[in-house]
Amino acid sequence: MLIFILRRLFLIVPTALIVITLTWGLIRIAPGNFYSGEKKLPAAIESNIRAKYGLDKPWYTQYRLMISNVARGDFGDSLKYQDRSVNQIIRDHLPYSATIGVLAYLLALAVGLSAGIMASLRQNSGWDYGSMSLAMFGLSVPNFVLGPIMVLVFSLWLYLFPPARWGGIGNIILPVITLAAIYVAYIARLTRAGMLEVLRSDYIRTARAKGLDEKTVLLKHGLRGGIIPVVSYTGPALAGLLAGTVVVEKVFAIPGLGNIFIQSVLNRDEPLILGVVAFLSIMIMLFNLIVDISYGFLDPRIRYE
Amino acid sequence: MQQEIIKGTSLWQDAWKRLLRNKLAVFGLIVVAFVAILVFIGPPIWEALTGNTFDFQDKTLTTSQSPSFRHPMGTDDSGRDLFARVMQGGRISLMVGIISTIVSLIVGVSYGAIAGYSGGKIDNLMMRIVDVIYSIPYILVVIVLLSVFGGPNTPGWIKTISDTFQGGQGLSQIFLLFLALGLVSWLTMARVVRGQILSLKNQEFVLAAKATGVSTLSIIFKHLVPNALGTVIVYSTLTIPSVMLTEAFLSFLGIGVQAPYASWGSLVADGIKNIQIFPWQLIFPGVTMALTLFSLNFLGDGLRDALDPQTRKF
Amino acid sequence: MSRNYSIQSFLGVVVIVVSLISAGCGTSAKGRFYGKTEAPTDNTLRYISGSEPESLDPQIPTGQPEARVLMSIYDGLLEYNPKTMEPMPALAESWETNGDGTEYLFHLRKNAKFSNGEPITAKDFAYTFRRGMSPELTALNAYLGFYIKYAEAYNGGRMFLKGADGNFLLKKDFVDEAETTVEAKLDNFGADTEFHRFLDAPERLTVEGSPFDLAKATEGDEKLKTVLKFKTADFKNVGAFVGSVKSGTDGVSKLLQEKLGKSLDACVSECDNNAKQIIADGLNKIIGEESLHKTEVLTGVTLTKDAEKIVKSFDGANKKVEDANKILDEEIAKSATDEEKQAKEKKRKKPLVKLFYANRFLLNEIYAESLEKPQFVPVEAKDIGVEAVDDYTLRLKLYQPAPFFIGLIPHQFFRVVHQATIEKFKKDWVRPENIVTSGSFKLVTRRPYDVVIVEKDTNNWDAANVHLDRIEFYPLEEATTMMNLYKANSVHAIYNHTPPAAWNEVVREFKDEYLNLPEVANEYYTFNVKKAPTDNIKVRQALAYSIDRVALSEFRKTPKPLYNFVPERILPKYDEARDKIFAEKLKENNIAPEEWKKRMFDPEIARKLLGEAGYPVEKKGNGWSCPTFPIDKVSVTYNTAESNKSVAEFMQAQWQQNLGIQVPLKNMEWKTFLPVRKALDYQGMARAGWVGDYMDPYTFLNLCYHEDNDSATGWHNAEFDKLLDSANKELDPQKRFETLAKAEFLMMREQPFLPLQTSATNWIKKPFIKGLYPNPGTLHAWKFVYIEQDPTKWDTNVENIMQTDDAKVSEQINQIMNSQKTFLAQKAEVPQTAKAK
Repeated sequence: MLIFILRRLFLIVPTALIVITLTWGLIRIAPGNFYSGEKKLPAAIESNIRAKYGLDKPWYTQYRLMISNVARGDFGDSLKYQDRSVNQIIRDHLPYSATIGVLAYLLALAVGLSAGIMASLRQNSGWDYGSMSLAMFGLSVPNFVLGPIMVLVFSLWLYLFPPARWGGIGNIILPVITLAAIYVAYIARLTRAGMLEVLRSDYIRTARAKGLDEKTVLLKHGLRGGIIPVVSYTGPALAGLLAGTVVVEKVFAIPGLGNIFIQSVLNRDEPLILGVVAFLSIMIMLFNLIVDISYGFLDPRIRYE
Repeated sequence: MQQEIIKGTSLWQDAWKRLLRNKLAVFGLIVVAFVAILVFIGPPIWEALTGNTFDFQDKTLTTSQSPSFRHPMGTDDSGRDLFARVMQGGRISLMVGIISTIVSLIVGVSYGAIAGYSGGKIDNLMMRIVDVIYSIPYILVVIVLLSVFGGPNTPGWIKTISDTFQGGQGLSQIFLLFLALGLVSWLTMARVVRGQILSLKNQEFVLAAKATGVSTLSIIFKHLVPNALGTVIVYSTLTIPSVMLTEAFLSFLGIGVQAPYASWGSLVADGIKNIQIFPWQLIFPGVTMALTLFSLNFLGDGLRDALDPQTRKF
Repeated sequence: MSRNYSIQSFLGVVVIVVSLISAGCGTSAKGRFYGKTEAPTDNTLRYISGSEPESLDPQIPTGQPEARVLMSIYDGLLEYNPKTMEPMPALAESWETNGDGTEYLFHLRKNAKFSNGEPITAKDFAYTFRRGMSPELTALNAYLGFYIKYAEAYNGGRMFLKGADGNFLLKKDFVDEAETTVEAKLDNFGADTEFHRFLDAPERLTVEGSPFDLAKATEGDEKLKTVLKFKTADFKNVGAFVGSVKSGTDGVSKLLQEKLGKSLDACVSECDNNAKQIIADGLNKIIGEESLHKTEVLTGVTLTKDAEKIVKSFDGANKKVEDANKILDEEIAKSATDEEKQAKEKKRKKPLVKLFYANRFLLNEIYAESLEKPQFVPVEAKDIGVEAVDDYTLRLKLYQPAPFFIGLIPHQFFRVVHQATIEKFKKDWVRPENIVTSGSFKLVTRRPYDVVIVEKDTNNWDAANVHLDRIEFYPLEEATTMMNLYKANSVHAIYNHTPPAAWNEVVREFKDEYLNLPEVANEYYTFNVKKAPTDNIKVRQALAYSIDRVALSEFRKTPKPLYNFVPERILPKYDEARDKIFAEKLKENNIAPEEWKKRMFDPEIARKLLGEAGYPVEKKGNGWSCPTFPIDKVSVTYNTAESNKSVAEFMQAQWQQNLGIQVPLKNMEWKTFLPVRKALDYQGMARAGWVGDYMDPYTFLNLCYHEDNDSATGWHNAEFDKLLDSANKELDPQKRFETLAKAEFLMMREQPFLPLQTSATNWIKKPFIKGLYPNPGTLHAWKFVYIEQDPTKWDTNVENIMQTDDAKVSEQINQIMNSQKTFLAQKAEVPQTAKAK
């Protein structure tokens, strides 16, 4: 097991470099550059800029410079926000996205798992349909709709919470609920489906036959196998949440990483794009590793050789 | 009990019968079928009846009108009949949903199943590839796709291919849209399926199949995948709404529907901006979309129950 | 039971949502004010400033969102008048200009201080101007200062050329007289200094700093060749030089052998690592990309990007050579015999190849030495036309009379920065803990993408007249979020173009808050005049005449239809001149005024024109059809934005209705769109907009100036260029406007653009915020803004806000204008005052 983990950790570096290389290549192919704007630049200014950022060098030199900087963990300064380094930008804005994202996911887990378990235990009952409909609500009402509606109701009519911006706890509640809504739907439905499958499997029947009480059967045996789809889904979902969610950040004016990342791509801000991509890919791989490890704990039949 | 699956012929008939017994699923089926028929054959009929199309009628109609007899869903900012636009937008959205579901079913399920069953190095490699694709900024891929296929720098051979297949500009946009959606819609599906297969592959029935000398491919696709089908169906019904919204995002980047055409995603996105002023612009497209998604999910649940090899006995 | 339960629950939710929404709409549309309206008690203005500021360095960012923030923390020589945007005194209490408008003298006030309490002097401004123009800063806005003498040459790393006689070559000897704008002559404006004489002297010739460019520049120019005493053979040498270097290392070796008497390997082994680096870099520049690895293999050093370091180390290496030679000189002096002397002489080291750094590495000097003829002297920061005459007098020298240039002085690019801080902290100088500012407010907090907080700076010269204690700038772009914050009274004003068209329907009802005035900006479609069918004037006219622009602007809820190119109603003097000239021109060209008016909207004429262009329009049912029009060759390309989309849809409908052609629409993400439009890769039409840099028609007309222009149409007209040239020489403002109007008339007859509308300010502010005006650039001088606690004194009917007099603000303006008025009055009395200074 330890070797498995080490091997996977070791793999993160080359995989991240592949991701960075591919992204770097895509930035090169993409039309436009960070300094292009409505007004045409005089040739002198343009060539000054190209010289300053080494864009006049051949591509392999640029690539080598980029990789050697990245290997040292230095992504350089943002091209758009020239007085801020990429590392600093990620460090500054990650806490916002992470706070909202983790809270939302915890909320979604709590609501989604209970709704899913409840539904699977009383399949095709009112409970089942009720909780599934509620779960589906989060999915069929996109968060760019849910967010503004919540603002309208809770901020502009009831004056309960501030309509936007970062601040106290009051500012966090609406975005967390908005963000959680989608994940509730996923988690609830995946839990229900997973539980339904597990509850009918042989080992649950064996457990029941052994005379274990229903609670133990469900929580100790049933749930562990039943949430495997949720766990599979959690890896990329959580990594994505850490890297921010554009819509919620925009609606609630939260200075998170997601919006900055999208803007960096639209601005062709190469160092910033590469920095966030590297961070994101490492997170994805770490979370997927944790997911793979937890498979083993959840289902003793899963073995890694 | 695994023998029953292989019987095959009666499986689908059986499933269909069980599906029809599930009232909620039937309701879902009816709604989905109704919406599908409406969006595909509705617009010309609607135009013949009222003269309304999704585009401008005449230049004097340039403000939002609340629902009326002539415009049952009201009009949008530009005075265009919302009902016609909802029907027209449904075409795109349903098509997008169907295509990405097919891609994620075919590519995602087989990819995840093969990775999960193979295990070891192959699994590791295949999953790292998924990680890589997942990590590359999607928006950047789309921008590059657009400039390679749709922009002025399109290489000649790509132009030739897309011209042979499509002809007009509009269709090549749709081609790009499906390409962009196809690229990503299978990734999480592959992860989910792989997780399921990992837990299934050491079960007794697989060992039994192996022992009797069943080929690897048929173990994967005849024994393992059907057992993971419940999760697969549920996950694909979950994918549809997110894909419909991805389409709205792609339209922003220049891929997808071009104005004056619309999709449900873009109609809802437009509607939410005006929610405090012209609420009907959100409510009608939003409710249509939500209703369809609800129905799709009821249908999906019904299918799941109907196809579940384990529930059949109950 | 189960089914009904779920459907009911779902429908229940829908019903609740619907009823909530409709209830909300019922209440929100009523009342005098839009949302909650309470004056804040903490004397703090909360303002949404647009996108996240790229930097708080006033010389870096180009956008208006940054300008709004930067205007609070930096002061310039002049400030924008809060209403008209005309320049008014700021750090300069008065200013004057010489006879032909090519020189300005600014008289600085003596009590001006930076936020750290240090005095602001003319030297700080000289530093600021030079920094802005320096190639190292790579400021995108540097072009704003290109009117300053030699500024463009400095920014572009250009060189003065010294002829064989040791004198600098002059531009007038090489450039056609007609093209030069004004003849430079010595004047006695301001104090007489050596630098002033240099600036007043005829303009020197500058060339791009590379031998290749010189070879190119002199090609076919016999005059330049003669002055430089070049022979064709010399160019052959140049060619051979370039060729040998390009051919690779062998060529380089040969060249070095020839010029320095030693092989490349010998040179390399003699050099220390730094010098190797320089050679590698220099060779790399010349040899080009392919052979890069060769130089690397050869010299064994990799390139670094830190050019300055290299230059320093290079100087160090040369210093060593010099020192060694000095010792040798001493030894030679000591030596007894001539033979010994000669033997020692052989040990003399040659200076290292001087690879010249002028923003890039060049081998100019090798090259110049090899020919021993022309000498290149780089244009440096100290050469540009900015002079600190004394601590409180700053002189600016321009190439040409540019009457609009004074209007550019309040621009953030020319606002003063603190040299010591910048030199100490380098790029980190703008961090809140390091920054030193010069404006009415000082930076307190900066949380990117969240807020920039500034507080009144007591060190500011005008602190007594700054009303607000604090401003919070929120960098937001999401329209709905902004409107929500505004409605909840969390912000008091938002930046321009914010409420979407649909919202305007409601928001414009709030007469005390909604501001909808013309801006110094326009929106238009460009025609691609290089591609059929829009290469045909008649097609362009048909497409333009078939658009009902009154309907369009009503559709957008900010009605300001535009038929000409320069925005209307913001430059009344120009509007006047334009009316006059257009009337004259119509008479001249035998066009009836009614005919000319038809260009505003006349589908009949449009169809006729399209027919004349070879695409007859036929009647079809209730509408029209034009079967021969090559619809696959035309489209409207626009960058993704809600408003662009609805305009494009409207245009499409108009063409369909009036001409029977269905023009496809194509949207693109901004940075994808830009190169497409610039390279004329679009078909038919593309969306564009232009925001004026200053309050003058020239900022718009300049767009079509010269063949290599920025209009993205491909349109160019020599006569048009001539008119602009002559307008620039014109000193009488009204005559100048008339010449510009002639140029505009010429342009509009050829219709390279389809003007849509003069942009509207389109923003809202709470009625208790006073002194904040919808000026044509939406750029606010914050020290005039105050919060009115007394509801009876709140703004009412802000449509007339520009005409309504606010005693508090106008008194403040008058007080500031006084210094300039007094100065001009004194100057009129004693014409020699300025000179005596």
